[in-house]
Amino acid sequence: MTQIFPKWSNKVPLFLAGGLVVVLAGIVGFFWYFGSPYYTDVGYRPEQPIPYSHKLHAGDMGMDCRYCHTGVEVTATAGVPPTQTCMNCHNMVKTESDSIKPIIQSWNTGIPIEWVRIHKTPDFAYFDHSIHINRNIGCESCHGRIDQMETVMLSKPLSMKWCLDCHRDPTSHIRPDGNVTAMGWTPGEGQSDWATEFISTNKINPPTDCSGCHR
Amino acid sequence: MSKKQLNGKQYWRSLNQLADTDEFRSFVENEFPEGTLELSDGLSRRKFLSLMGASLAFAGLAGCRRPIEKIIPYVISPEDIVPGIPLYYASAMPFGLESIGVLVENHEGRPTKLEGNESHPSSNGKANAFVQASILDLYDPDRAKEVSNGGESSDFEAFLLAWQDVRNKFENSAGENLAVISTEYSSPTLARLKKEFLKAYPNATWVAYEPVNDENVRRGIKMATGTLARPLYNLDKANVILALDSDFLQTESDVLRNAGDFAKGRKVTHENDQMNRLYVAESNYTVTGAMADHRFKMQSNHIAAFAAAVAIELNKQGFSVPGIDGIKSAGFSFNKSTIKALVRDLITNKGKSLILAGSRQPAHVHAIVSAMNEALSNIGETVTYYTFPDAQPSDIAEFKSLSTKMANGSIDGLIILGGNPVYNAPADFNFANALSKVEFSVHLSSKVNETSLLSSWKIPESHFLESWNDVRIAQGPSSIIQPQIEPLYASVSNIELVSAFTTGQSVKGYDLVQETWSYILSPTKFEKSWRKVLHDGVHFQSSGEISLKTNSKLLVNELQKQSFAMRTASAENLEVVFSTSASVYDGRFANNGWLQELPDPITKLTWDNAALMSRTTAKTLGLRNEDLVTLKFEGRNLNIPVWIVPGMADYSIGLELGYGQSSIGRIGDDTGVDTYKLRTSSHQGFGFGAMIVGTGLKYELASTQDHNGMDGDATAEKGVQDRLPIIVREATMDEYKHHPEFAKEAVEHPPLISMWEEKDYSEGPQWGMAIDLNVCTGCMACTIACQSENNIPVVGKDQVKIGREMHWMRMDRYFTGDIENPKSVVQPVACQHCEMAPCEQVCPVAATTHTDDGINGMTYNRCVGTRYCANNCPYKVRRFNFYHYTKDIPEIVQMAQNPDVTVRFRGVMEKCTFCLQRVNQAKITSKKNNQILVDGDVVSACQQTCPTDAIAFGDITDPNSKVSQMKQQNRDYALLGELNTKPRITYQAKLRNPNPELEKG
Repeated sequence: MTQIFPKWSNKVPLFLAGGLVVVLAGIVGFFWYFGSPYYTDVGYRPEQPIPYSHKLHAGDMGMDCRYCHTGVEVTATAGVPPTQTCMNCHNMVKTESDSIKPIIQSWNTGIPIEWVRIHKTPDFAYFDHSIHINRNIGCESCHGRIDQMETVMLSKPLSMKWCLDCHRDPTSHIRPDGNVTAMGWTPGEGQSDWATEFISTNKINPPTDCSGCHR
Repeated sequence: MSKKQLNGKQYWRSLNQLADTDEFRSFVENEFPEGTLELSDGLSRRKFLSLMGASLAFAGLAGCRRPIEKIIPYVISPEDIVPGIPLYYASAMPFGLESIGVLVENHEGRPTKLEGNESHPSSNGKANAFVQASILDLYDPDRAKEVSNGGESSDFEAFLLAWQDVRNKFENSAGENLAVISTEYSSPTLARLKKEFLKAYPNATWVAYEPVNDENVRRGIKMATGTLARPLYNLDKANVILALDSDFLQTESDVLRNAGDFAKGRKVTHENDQMNRLYVAESNYTVTGAMADHRFKMQSNHIAAFAAAVAIELNKQGFSVPGIDGIKSAGFSFNKSTIKALVRDLITNKGKSLILAGSRQPAHVHAIVSAMNEALSNIGETVTYYTFPDAQPSDIAEFKSLSTKMANGSIDGLIILGGNPVYNAPADFNFANALSKVEFSVHLSSKVNETSLLSSWKIPESHFLESWNDVRIAQGPSSIIQPQIEPLYASVSNIELVSAFTTGQSVKGYDLVQETWSYILSPTKFEKSWRKVLHDGVHFQSSGEISLKTNSKLLVNELQKQSFAMRTASAENLEVVFSTSASVYDGRFANNGWLQELPDPITKLTWDNAALMSRTTAKTLGLRNEDLVTLKFEGRNLNIPVWIVPGMADYSIGLELGYGQSSIGRIGDDTGVDTYKLRTSSHQGFGFGAMIVGTGLKYELASTQDHNGMDGDATAEKGVQDRLPIIVREATMDEYKHHPEFAKEAVEHPPLISMWEEKDYSEGPQWGMAIDLNVCTGCMACTIACQSENNIPVVGKDQVKIGREMHWMRMDRYFTGDIENPKSVVQPVACQHCEMAPCEQVCPVAATTHTDDGINGMTYNRCVGTRYCANNCPYKVRRFNFYHYTKDIPEIVQMAQNPDVTVRFRGVMEKCTFCLQRVNQAKITSKKNNQILVDGDVVSACQQTCPTDAIAFGDITDPNSKVSQMKQQNRDYALLGELNTKPRITYQAKLRNPNPELEKG
């Protein structure tokens, strides 16, 4: 009597089981990656009402972040500048440019410009810019190379894990005084030792309990 | 004192609990009180939350997309405003003749919270529930929004034109047929504009009407001294206080200052300290009565005789009180030795004693009180008299004569500045009829209420947070009221309207106030002084203090006319006693959800008033709680539910005013019963001869008194009673002297050993709180302050009924002692922030965890709503969002919410966070400035508002902090500390200071 199933078919259940594991892992991995803010959020680059170029202003012309984002050192929100700030220069510069027209219009009508929000933590997470800036965390750590962005995009996931990574060990993000708003700063040799000492002398103690951010 | 002695005392929360009825047992034993499934009643109070429904957000697949959010910056950045940093402005809240200095927290031009102004003597940095809740009145979605004329919508310009048309008529008659009815006020600008108004219309009538006022007090002082004046008390100087039907800690005038000063005399830190003594004689059970060391319950109509009996005894003991010789004391049935001992106590503390009577009592009681205070040399010490600078006190006789004139048709033009006289005028005036006879009537009102509906012109009134105005209090301090926001609707303030009537022009409130102050402030540096007044919130003007002497001849004459007979009430001949409500006051706060849902300090009723009566009264009449009865008084009938309050005077029926309005808005309409319908001009305080007839119907009331009981587990009935004396610990001063450690000895337990590894909390700051039960009056200000600070939702009567009220700070009220005349103890209970928190140990998702500085944190976004934590909490302080209570609240109400606190959603647990947002903010600020946190940097909302300073919050590792100082006292104890939960809140046990002479007898 010939065998109905060839001998290799004995291995089928094994392959199937193995395949199932791979498929399951694949599904988990799929959601792990494609469902996480690393994939869903990073790269969010909405169109803004004005084609304002951070690359031009902050990068090529080297304007400091704090010229426009005045609240960053004193309050929770960095603040988007009022039309007035734009007009400080643009009442003289490029007044005829099409791109500037909405600003002039806003200035004349008193109707504010509606920017689209890119960097957002959920309503139940209370992020405070000022304490991070005062503790020498660079803008770049969360916002990326803004000076190279023609249109701003989200370059970090702003997920809780990502926040906690730094809160648990901020050494690689702490910068020497004066470099907080610098773009393209790279940690030098001995950053780890220097930062550890800086953290202990300044009693930097980033909260890792829930209530540090959730209230 | 042994444990047995302490436990010998019985405490209970409601009569049901004491009797241990099936109803009570089923409530506390049922883990999920009935009705857990659905909101079924379509007419529920939740209509407030649901009317604005139709929220389309978050529907369908749109939820998967990142919602597009806009950032809208300023065009021109206003000076001073940094988005994210609130600004604080000084202002004042007018309240009849009173005003309360406030600081307004303002987020980018949006006022969100009120606190007391520390520089203002009326508040000393404190606020009561009314002040705290008035922010919600600003954002009331049912406010009057537009000028209207006979139901047609109009505007202020059209109104001015209409006024121009009729103005000549009044000018020609010099205002003969023109009248103004204002509420009571004390405002330099309004006083000035009134003068100008009367200059333009010299024969016009201007009367003030306030349904609840101090007219009796003023007239009483006039009876004794010949001069109309008002008394203000210095309770901090009083060692012995006798309050006659006076709830001076909660509902009378000047309560904030009174409560603060009274508490100063009760702050005991050591067993050898002295404490003041409070005697209270009253019919209703009030907050003041609950604080009393001796409470004599008696009908309100017996108070006059009681006052006379005290005066006669004073006379006997050599302190002459003129005019009392003629009083026949034969019919008095007071315990002679009690009065003797009381009077001896008053005399021993001569110059440091104080007798005060409630505004409900007739003038002659106040006249005797004034004469007694003079005999005891208290005038100028514990009580001072003041005139009425820039003020308009109400006058019922003038109001009556005006109503009569109106009814006769001799008034053609009537201006009503605020208030709601159609609703709250004495029933015998038939004010609605009188008003309908007036051809040209104007009602300035923040609500379209009963009066507005009968007036030809309705003009929306600006809230005090959105208009310029000023106030002045009798002691001298004046404040400028500065607007915090542009008027939300097309409203005007009372000064703008009066000025428009005088001049025919629309003048801005700012100009009117500035003109007044140009006379008050020195003209040379006006701008600078003006700014200083705005900044400080207070400017000290001359005080209205006057020195008055009793005019014996006058007083003798007056007292001869009065009767002091004690009428005996009975089941057929009941006494009715009218009082303001601790929630809605005289009705002005009836559309305020926070206040409506605020449990009454004594009855614990929410959303309703009731006919309050003693147990004996109810028993004799065969009534039970929630029976709907018909109350008949002077030919008027009222259907009202019954609520039994142990300790009420027998056959006195307590009736709270301010409920049952028909046109105030979605919150207040038809809540409770309109008791003004029974209130006539001759019985404004109390009346005699009422009857009660049962209807056989029931009316459900929502009382929180049996909710969230720490005795609520299904233990044996015996166990329930045994535990209460260790929950609220109290002793007399005498017991305290002999057993200074009584609070700590109250409970015996084996050494406490933890099953868990204990975390090290030695490094500061470690947050903790201390609550001194000896000065807490149970006024409920903390509950509302917390609600305002922490975005706590209003849930509605039906939800309260099934135990779902959301207050993070609840006020437990226990009765103890004789069931007919019980004493009462209050205890504010919020999350105790246990170091060994039972809630944290059972949370399956670690949504509630501890911070390194000892706060029991709650992470809403992590909570999945198992409610294990609430079940495991021995203090029952966790509140669950059974519905998305905040989802449908109107946008305008959302403006009252604190942007620094998460708004919770359905299915999550919440509870006191020790004002985490304030803690975190203070920590961040101190770190940014390289400073160390010092005591006082973090103030919790409840602590900040507490009128008696009963609450201290701070770092318990700092031995010098206020909270540590309080915790070091020997009266300190932890609530259920024997469970080894190590709560961060501890209580200082309550003390009473009874007269040893009376204790013996």
